[in-house]
Amino acid sequence: METREDILEIMREDLKRALQKTRTERRWGMAIDLRRCIGCHACTTGCMSENLTPPGMHYRPVREEEIGRFPNVSLRFLPRPCMQCDSPTCTPVCPVKATYKRDDGIVMIDYRKCIGCRYCLVACPYGARSADVGHYYTGEMKKQTYEVENSGEYGKVFRRKTHWHSPIGNARKCHFCIHRVEKGELTRCTATCLGHATYFGDLNDQKSLINKVIAKANTFRYREELGTEPRVIYIV
Amino acid sequence: MRFDGIVLPDRARLREAVDDIRKGRGGISLYLSLLGLLAGFLAIGCIFLLGHAHTTNTSDLVPWGIQITTYVYFVLISTGCTFVNFFGAIFYEEEYSPYASRVMFLAIVTALAAFISLATEMGRIDRMYYFLISPNPASPMFWMSVWYAADIFIIVLEYINIRRSRHSRKVMWAAFFVAVVTYGTLGSLFGAVGSRAYYYSALLPIYFLFMAFLTGGALCALVAAVEGRKTLGDGSPLPAFFTTFLKIGLGLALFAIFWRLMIGLTGHVPGSEAFGLTLFDTLFFGIFLGVVVPFLLLLATRGPVGLIFTGLLILATQFKGRMDLVVGGFRVPVFRAYDIPEVVRYTPSVFEALVVVASVSLVAFVYLVCDRSGLFEPVPGKEG
Repeated sequence: METREDILEIMREDLKRALQKTRTERRWGMAIDLRRCIGCHACTTGCMSENLTPPGMHYRPVREEEIGRFPNVSLRFLPRPCMQCDSPTCTPVCPVKATYKRDDGIVMIDYRKCIGCRYCLVACPYGARSADVGHYYTGEMKKQTYEVENSGEYGKVFRRKTHWHSPIGNARKCHFCIHRVEKGELTRCTATCLGHATYFGDLNDQKSLINKVIAKANTFRYREELGTEPRVIYIV
Repeated sequence: MRFDGIVLPDRARLREAVDDIRKGRGGISLYLSLLGLLAGFLAIGCIFLLGHAHTTNTSDLVPWGIQITTYVYFVLISTGCTFVNFFGAIFYEEEYSPYASRVMFLAIVTALAAFISLATEMGRIDRMYYFLISPNPASPMFWMSVWYAADIFIIVLEYINIRRSRHSRKVMWAAFFVAVVTYGTLGSLFGAVGSRAYYYSALLPIYFLFMAFLTGGALCALVAAVEGRKTLGDGSPLPAFFTTFLKIGLGLALFAIFWRLMIGLTGHVPGSEAFGLTLFDTLFFGIFLGVVVPFLLLLATRGPVGLIFTGLLILATQFKGRMDLVVGGFRVPVFRAYDIPEVVRYTPSVFEALVVVASVSLVAFVYLVCDRSGLFEPVPGKEG
């Protein structure tokens, strides 16, 4: 039986292998084992501290879903990151190409370009995008350093206090912690998952743990019928 | 080219109008619109200075609220005015020409009011130049901006031509077709959202054009009736084409509302429940108060007072219709989970409501001031 640390170490090795390839050769994906999710919200809080998201904005909320019909009903935890769709509905609608799909499959947002029209929020079928309207945990007058410092998202500098490059007014969403991944670190949600329900890796690498896990399990992709080809695969 | 007194108000008469306003002789409508304008622009200032976090009630579940509703409402009125100008000039040339400059002026001012409302909803208005340097031709919103710019240019040109008595049929036809394409594109902006059953429809661009004809026609009829009351008295009939346009507009609106509702109600796709949730509003405000009652009023009354009331009723119910359309799309959340409300509710904040007041007041105030300055009077030896 592999321990949690073993699993994380295997995925880190997978990452190293993937990063040796060119960007076009790798295909980042995530698998979430819903049987293992304990609803602890560690991924949500980990993500919030990693990306310094403002109040009410969760890149990876853990939703509670009722499944079955009465009297055979049960509650299931459903973590919902951005699905990084291969055929996203959010990118074509952006009038200024502020959101786009990178060669390795990550749907990016250029905070310097986004005009805050929120058309992508309307178009996303997963409700995975949020508008940063400028809330602070401690109020406008007493805002703390952590609320305005650079989160390092997308590997760039976007401080919330400097107006020009500030993400305030923009659309924001999960980006598979691409700033961490490119440094060989796992996404924060994967690293913090207590039930080791989250797997991350290169879907093009047949030796990767994520591919092995998916191959053995019953899987589904959320609202697949829309043709969005999500890269988040749920294991049930 | 001389603009003063022809395209823009004559300076001396504008000064007189301002003096009248200062001395309390402006009339109740003008003072109300001025008050609305001040309150509205104060609210807009607060939205820009304090930010959306403290002033608006939109959220991730309802990303577009009453400001986008107001934007859609006014651009449709602007289009409708262009349609009225086109059909008026084509079918009722002699009868229509005294109203032409007013109609095109309203088209321009309502487009401006729409822009103001839109600007308050945008998260980063300072980055709008990316429309020029990083355009995305795949986005309906990009094409809307392109056509919008063309529309503004051409309606201004049409207005200048009318005022300078150099009316060009080519420009008039171009204004009509650009309006059709622009607001058809606006319809597609909503209609192309595949993830929301309430929006996703090929009917939506047609719906927008039909609604534009009705709302634009209603504003033009209202303005003509108010003007007619001043010049013709209460009992004299107005030119019949305003009533004819409104009747046609009501028929088109009934067609679009009814079939959009029916098709939506028969759909069994996730999100189509929104049609059921807005059923009462669509039937009562959209069809009964918005179409049936105005049609009966048009049959029953002939004078300006009846037309004023009908125009106001249509404009009010159409605003409610636009609100139901824009916000209705968010009533059912796209991602359903136990901890997300089954039906999302949205109530605009005071600041958001005041943006509507600002837009309405802007149209009313600019029109009334220009009217008092004699801008719409025939140019001696030229117009009419």
